[in-house]
Amino acid sequence: MARSQPDTDVIVYEPQLCTGCRYCEVACAVWHCGQIDVTRSRIRILFDEERTAERYSAVNCQHCDDPICCAVCPPEALQKDQKTGWVTQNSSKCVGCEMCIVACPLSVPIFDAALRVAVKCDFCLGAPECVTHCSSGALRVCARDEAARFNERLYLSVKEDQ
Amino acid sequence: MIPKVWNVSTQATRIYRFDASGCNGCDIEVLGISALVPVAELGIEIAERPEDANLLLVTGGANLKSKQELESAYRAIREPRTVVAVGSCAATMGIFKGGYSMTGPIDAIIPVDWYIMGCPPRPQVILGALADTLQLKVEGIEALLRTPQGFRGDPHVDQEKCVGCGACAHVCPADAIEIVGNGTERLVRFMRKDCIFCASCQEVCPSEAVELRFGDKVWFQGKETSTSEARLPLRACLLCGAPYVPDAQLNWALRRVDEKLEVGAADRSRLQRSLNICMQCRRKSLSEVREAKRILASLATRISA
Repeated sequence: MARSQPDTDVIVYEPQLCTGCRYCEVACAVWHCGQIDVTRSRIRILFDEERTAERYSAVNCQHCDDPICCAVCPPEALQKDQKTGWVTQNSSKCVGCEMCIVACPLSVPIFDAALRVAVKCDFCLGAPECVTHCSSGALRVCARDEAARFNERLYLSVKEDQ
Repeated sequence: MIPKVWNVSTQATRIYRFDASGCNGCDIEVLGISALVPVAELGIEIAERPEDANLLLVTGGANLKSKQELESAYRAIREPRTVVAVGSCAATMGIFKGGYSMTGPIDAIIPVDWYIMGCPPRPQVILGALADTLQLKVEGIEALLRTPQGFRGDPHVDQEKCVGCGACAHVCPADAIEIVGNGTERLVRFMRKDCIFCASCQEVCPSEAVELRFGDKVWFQGKETSTSEARLPLRACLLCGAPYVPDAQLNWALRRVDEKLEVGAADRSRLQRSLNICMQCRRKSLSEVREAKRILASLATRISA
């Protein structure tokens, strides 16, 4: 399978820097839906008060190299753009079968009941609003290989999280 | 060639045709019958007044203005009264469903004996339904009524193949497909009266479970509501225990992942576990989000390595 270019960008999330202001959710909802309704936001921030370290986590699209969502999409509405590295969804091809929502371990795509299709992060076609509006710098755009190393350090090298 | 026709019913049938506010598509198809067969030889006469008729052929979904006319026409026709509802509008109000002036469907106003499906039904179908209603014997009617290649009949769903994703219900322009979840299983039901045979469901079905069969009889009597249905058991969430999506859909997705991606054994078992968690739980707890990101990071590492 074709690999995406290493010089493409992805969004990375650094839980230690996040303050939980959820500006990203608002910015996303406004940019995509024109309304301040965070339930329609493509990025969600989770908060756990019990924890001492890493109180926050984000449900955000990783724009995977070999996306599971694209693999399971029956009408091939979800496509990985090999040039930009973005995993985007074509609403006019989507049939609303919710396979992507079911298959993604993070359930990144969400079902839009009004449009009767699944919607997901489209990288704001170049300049992600969540990153632009992140006040603490927890969300940032960085090169794919750097992001892979960062995520590896964050999620693969440490012991099981408690 | 004009087929030989004869009528074995005891009396000649006189039809009163009533247009209860449709688009006139069905009316044109009704007129098309005369191009197929000599209607008079079928023992069918067209009545000019409802008082002369004993069969009421209704097209359209009935609106505020036609409702009373329809009621009085029904009262006026001679007994035994037979009412045939032609087309989707008559059966369910079709594309006019939800219109401000609509008062139908027809069976909400008067009793309907026969329904003829289609938007509009072909003249052959209307003739076939009339032949059934009036017990007409028409020589060569089988050839006449045979569905031409490319025309579609009732939708049928294959219980074995259906994954219960609900894509068919989302695309159905006539809202003919019901997805009912009653706790432990999901029911996919194709409503017979609403279907307009557009085959959108067949086109989008990811598992090719829906088929609009060629050559089906598309008229029916009385209260038959669904052509076919599939029952899918739902999987219970590993964490909260609530049923969320059908087993078949999860299996389908996993099979597709196996086909298209090269996932290592460890990642696959993690992915399989994550599929057993409902969508709400996946996005609820930090540890689950972390686990999911771990899977994705692991896949990315293997790929870049």
